[in-house]
Amino acid sequence: MTGPTGKTPIASQPTAQRRLGSRIALLVGFGALLMLMAFIGADSLRTLGAFEASNNRIRQDFLYREHTLDQVRAGLYESANLMTEYLLMEPSPQSREALRVQLSSIQAEASSALKACIGSLPAGTREPFQHLATEMEAYWSTLGHVIAFDPETNARKPGSFLSGAVRQQHAKALTITKELSVLNSEDLRDAERRIAEASGQFRRRLLMIVIIGLLFGLILAGGTIGYAGRLEKHLEEKYDESLQVQQELRELSKRLVDTEERERRAISRELHDEVGQSLSALLLDVQNLTEISSGEGTLQKGLQNIKASAENCLDEVRNMALLLRPSMLDDLGLVAALEWQAREVSKRTGMVVDMVEKDVSEHLPEEHKTCVYRIVQEALNNCSKHAYAKNVRVVVRQERNHLQVTIEDDGRGFDPRRMRGLGLIGMNERVTQLGGVLTVSSNPAQGTRLEVDLPLPNA
Amino acid sequence: MKKLRILLADDHVVMRSGLRALLERQPNLEVVGETENGRSTVELVASLKPDVVVMDIGMPILNGIEATKTIVTEQPATAVIILSMHADESYVMRALKAGARGYLLKDSAPADLLTAIQAVSQNKSFFSPKVSRILAEDYVRVLKQKGGVDSYDLLTDREREILQLLAEGKANKEVATSLNISPYTVETHRKHILEKLNLHNPAELILYAVRKGIIS
Repeated sequence: MTGPTGKTPIASQPTAQRRLGSRIALLVGFGALLMLMAFIGADSLRTLGAFEASNNRIRQDFLYREHTLDQVRAGLYESANLMTEYLLMEPSPQSREALRVQLSSIQAEASSALKACIGSLPAGTREPFQHLATEMEAYWSTLGHVIAFDPETNARKPGSFLSGAVRQQHAKALTITKELSVLNSEDLRDAERRIAEASGQFRRRLLMIVIIGLLFGLILAGGTIGYAGRLEKHLEEKYDESLQVQQELRELSKRLVDTEERERRAISRELHDEVGQSLSALLLDVQNLTEISSGEGTLQKGLQNIKASAENCLDEVRNMALLLRPSMLDDLGLVAALEWQAREVSKRTGMVVDMVEKDVSEHLPEEHKTCVYRIVQEALNNCSKHAYAKNVRVVVRQERNHLQVTIEDDGRGFDPRRMRGLGLIGMNERVTQLGGVLTVSSNPAQGTRLEVDLPLPNA
Repeated sequence: MKKLRILLADDHVVMRSGLRALLERQPNLEVVGETENGRSTVELVASLKPDVVVMDIGMPILNGIEATKTIVTEQPATAVIILSMHADESYVMRALKAGARGYLLKDSAPADLLTAIQAVSQNKSFFSPKVSRILAEDYVRVLKQKGGVDSYDLLTDREREILQLLAEGKANKEVATSLNISPYTVETHRKHILEKLNLHNPAELILYAVRKGIIS
């Protein structure tokens, strides 16, 4: 007994530790995987946001510069138009003054736009715009010279030296704006290329992280599946083991029942045949002696005493033998034994026991006879001991290959779901061993009904 | 007078020798053989044709009751007395059904066995007083427990008279002769008796008579 009970905790300790270890490993693994996924998500979102921002900024910068150049260009065209008009017109001090005002306002607008643009540029990229600004200043000053020129001279030499200088300067400035436009477009393309490169890099990084995550997840999943498999296998082994133990227990209980029955029968037979018959023979001898030795008062009295003791003894032995295992079961069959039992119980307890049989063969298999007999014995015992029944009805019926036994009482009953005594367990065990079914239906205060259905082997 | 020829069937040597000693002291009895199992008893009865077999129940190979059945069918001239340790009704009932004419317990007085042998050889029944007592007690107990009416009270005087004669083992014709009535009348009475007492065969009728102490 100490063997298995002492062994269990020792064996289960490493198992518990191992179980805890693998649990922690699983927890850490899954936690890491989740964290990795969260990291990938957050990183992607952040990178995408940055891309969008830089894309916007580049586009805005481009548009802003384009807009500035447009403004410069517009100033150039407008001023050129004004100049052309002025030179074609009849010169007057008023018109000259008006032109100056107009030109200076255009100049102010274009210059301030250009200046603001230059101010917004990063230090390295200012140079081409600075150049434009210088050229523009030159252009404006050329225009200033034209306006300051004497109207007569102007009239005499229309479109000559001065207007040629203006045109030259104008063309130069325009060329620069065009160059700048091209430069600006290149800048934009450059920026877009950079963005494309960065996004490619980002894609590669994302791919890498996803692959790592997948690998990690795969390993984790593999580990988990393996662990679950091991657990399942372990469980299966335990289940098989428990089934085997159950089987062994059943085997053992069957052997126990068989042995008990065999021993009972052996002892019963021994008592009945050896002790009982010897006592009977003794009685006969004593009686023979009594007849022969007529007279002799003391001898007769002694013989009478021996006879009385032997008779008592014989009764005792007979009862003991019957209680152990009724000889009727072997000599006369199941029905006779049940009838005897019904009478005995009735005599002993005062309970009315009705025993009804229908078509029960006298030559039932040994195991079946014993099974039914013991079940009825136990049931009757329960009826009188626990149920305090007044009437019991035992019905044994044989139908083709089935033996059906019903035991009904009018006792106080019980709740079969809550109470399951050793007696009932033993009955169930006997019935199950023969492939039969035991049904107990009872309710408190409503009596008990016990049904047994035993399949009979094909004779 | 011709000696009654007796066969002893018991698987216990001590028992058999005791019985032989008892029976051989009687001038009118002769033990013609001994057997120790049911099968050889049947065989020996067929060859020896004894008048009476004194038979134990618990014997190997074939028990006394099964052997009795065969003997009664095959050798109706041979009467069977069961000499058993069992006083229980189950045994008595089945012995009677098998066709035994007498039922004695092994602890009965030797005089009872001698009486029984004489009785069955004259086609009458005989039961140990103890068996009769046990059966009668049981009958009274069941009657009391179930609160029923003693069906014996339902019988007419004539029916009681016929019941006793039938239980003693007399045939319808013998009953008719001794009462000076027709055998058909006896048969009608017999039917009524069985009906009133809820009995089904001659064995039960005899058992009933024993229980009521009508015969012993």
